[in-house]
Amino acid sequence: MRILLIEDDISVADYIGKGLRQSGYSVEHCADGEQGLALAQKSEEYDVLVVDRMLPNMDGLTIIQTLRAADNKSPVLILSALGEVDDRVKGLKAGGDDYLVKPFAFVELLARIEALLRRQKSSTSETKLKVADLEMDLLAHKVTRGGGGFNLQPREYKLLEYLMKHAGQVVTRTMLLENVWEYHFDPQTNVIDVHISRLRQKIDKDFDQQLLSTVRGAGYMLRDPEIQ
Amino acid sequence: MIINKILASYTFRFLWAYVIGLSVSVLIVLMLVYATYSYDYFKQLQGAVADEIVALEEVYENTGFGGLERFIGEKIEKGELNRFYYLVVDQEKRKLAGNLDDWPIYRRYDDGWLEFHLEILSWNDQKRELRFIGRSEEIGDGYRMLVVHHHGEFRGYAEAIRGALVRSMMVTIVLGTIGGAIVAGLSVRQIDRTNKTLQSIMSGDLSDRIESASMRGEHKELALNINLMLDRIQQLMEGLRQVSDNIAHDLRTPLTRLRNQLSDMQDQAVSDREDRVQPLIDEADGLLSTFSSLLRIAQVESGSRRAGFTRLDLRIILLDVIELYEPLATDKAIKFVSSLQAEAFINGDRDLLFQAFANLIDNAVKYTPENGCVNVELGSVGEEAFVTVTDSGRGISAVDQGKVFERFYRVEASRSLHPGNGLGLSLVSAVVKLHYGHITLSDNQPGLRVEVRWPLVD
Repeated sequence: MRILLIEDDISVADYIGKGLRQSGYSVEHCADGEQGLALAQKSEEYDVLVVDRMLPNMDGLTIIQTLRAADNKSPVLILSALGEVDDRVKGLKAGGDDYLVKPFAFVELLARIEALLRRQKSSTSETKLKVADLEMDLLAHKVTRGGGGFNLQPREYKLLEYLMKHAGQVVTRTMLLENVWEYHFDPQTNVIDVHISRLRQKIDKDFDQQLLSTVRGAGYMLRDPEIQ
Repeated sequence: MIINKILASYTFRFLWAYVIGLSVSVLIVLMLVYATYSYDYFKQLQGAVADEIVALEEVYENTGFGGLERFIGEKIEKGELNRFYYLVVDQEKRKLAGNLDDWPIYRRYDDGWLEFHLEILSWNDQKRELRFIGRSEEIGDGYRMLVVHHHGEFRGYAEAIRGALVRSMMVTIVLGTIGGAIVAGLSVRQIDRTNKTLQSIMSGDLSDRIESASMRGEHKELALNINLMLDRIQQLMEGLRQVSDNIAHDLRTPLTRLRNQLSDMQDQAVSDREDRVQPLIDEADGLLSTFSSLLRIAQVESGSRRAGFTRLDLRIILLDVIELYEPLATDKAIKFVSSLQAEAFINGDRDLLFQAFANLIDNAVKYTPENGCVNVELGSVGEEAFVTVTDSGRGISAVDQGKVFERFYRVEASRSLHPGNGLGLSLVSAVVKLHYGHITLSDNQPGLRVEVRWPLVD
């Protein structure tokens, strides 16, 4: 897995690069906007681009627009400092796939990069999701485990769908808020935890195998304990 | 309404007092003129009468009674041209000569002057009531002479002058009042406009300025100065914001690094250490979240997010917030009731409104004891939408109600009981202001009632 990191802040770049390499990715770093664009255009082999918004010579959004205009479909994660007006909207309109405000916890970045990689792999329209014996029929809107069905609230269904689509990877609280509740906000309390524990009550309570686990300091993960 | 405003305005009252003051002083001046004039008039009159008496006495001394009678006769012949009247009587007050018939009943002044009035037939046979002033003198041989002069014309003039004075005074007052009202009206209008702009500036957008192009004179100068002052305030606030933003921003980066290093340490540590690192990570997360909140409040207060406002239905956002927090309430056995009107559209930022409602409902659930209740209501009154969040917790004292919107302010009693950074309500207040709304806290007996109002859009 190759990641291109275009970021002019050396300390941020070092820390992201180090973390990603430790997680098993190969990272190339570039501190200049124009050079970064050239690198991204030269090789289409990058699995993910991590692009800072403010860069010398060419800003991040221009890089993304140029790439998209040239039909380069590599997933892009935009990094930005908090404070500018509807940055997120602009970033996503320019062709970014996800948006992260600095500073962030590394786990947040990693979880988002993994989500982007996953999206890339499974972009085909699936009709069924399966994690161990837990199954979700996207067409019939039905969830079953070990032959028995569950009665899920619409939001619980959406939450489970997102977790299943990202099975085996860490999903952070902000990712859930952004993708399941579709609001960008700071919840201050453990409100997401309550929803997760409700969902866990429904899908895990009567089973020996616990599929939905909490990853301390990061978020949650739904996975088949048999795998890995 | 506008009339009352004008009448109550300082300008109008000042001008009115000025008109009254001016009228009174003009009246005093005119009265002085009148007094001086009448004093001179009577002095001259008295002089003329005295001269006449001297002349008559001389005639009597030189030519005796016969000469005097002739002399008076000649004078009377001249008629109207001669404004003296005479009467010469003997000791028994019988008329001997003159054009007055009887010795009149007169008023005698201390200085020997007499005053009386009589009806006189004038040259065109019309009766006229005339006032006279004159003297009587002994001229010898028991004869007494009365020489008087009428001053009726003067009375007439005086009456006319007084009438004119009173009328012009009235006109002055009436015109002055109307003029004052017009001037006050103009001034009230300009000041009103300035005040309205200032209020709107105070309630939110500091970048707004008073429109001074159509103003004149001192009003324009005032508006320009206020604008300059606003520029300065804005600069200072921006400077302050910049500094606090920079602090928050610059501290966040090393803090993030610290947090991440702790996290690395936790991953590599043996299980015993792992537990000791977690509180440190939590602490760092708390600090990071405080800095983020501060920066978010600063961003909201800057007003820049207004650029992204869209028309939204408060009901939909509220339903989402309620849905998010409902399990939290259920876990505490809190009765969570909502009554939302069908729709209420305002212009706003979806994420920020969600954040504001989330903070309010989060607080309500947090501060309400088990088995308590939390109510959320959405409605509209006139041109405004309102959202109320009420709880049955311990509430906020009237003293604290004004302070809880300040950054980092926490009610003393809750400090130890509930974790928090004291920024939640500051953010709510900033978001409400950004949306041109008002937030009020009141006692729900027991508990807290928060009411937020916004202008509706179609």
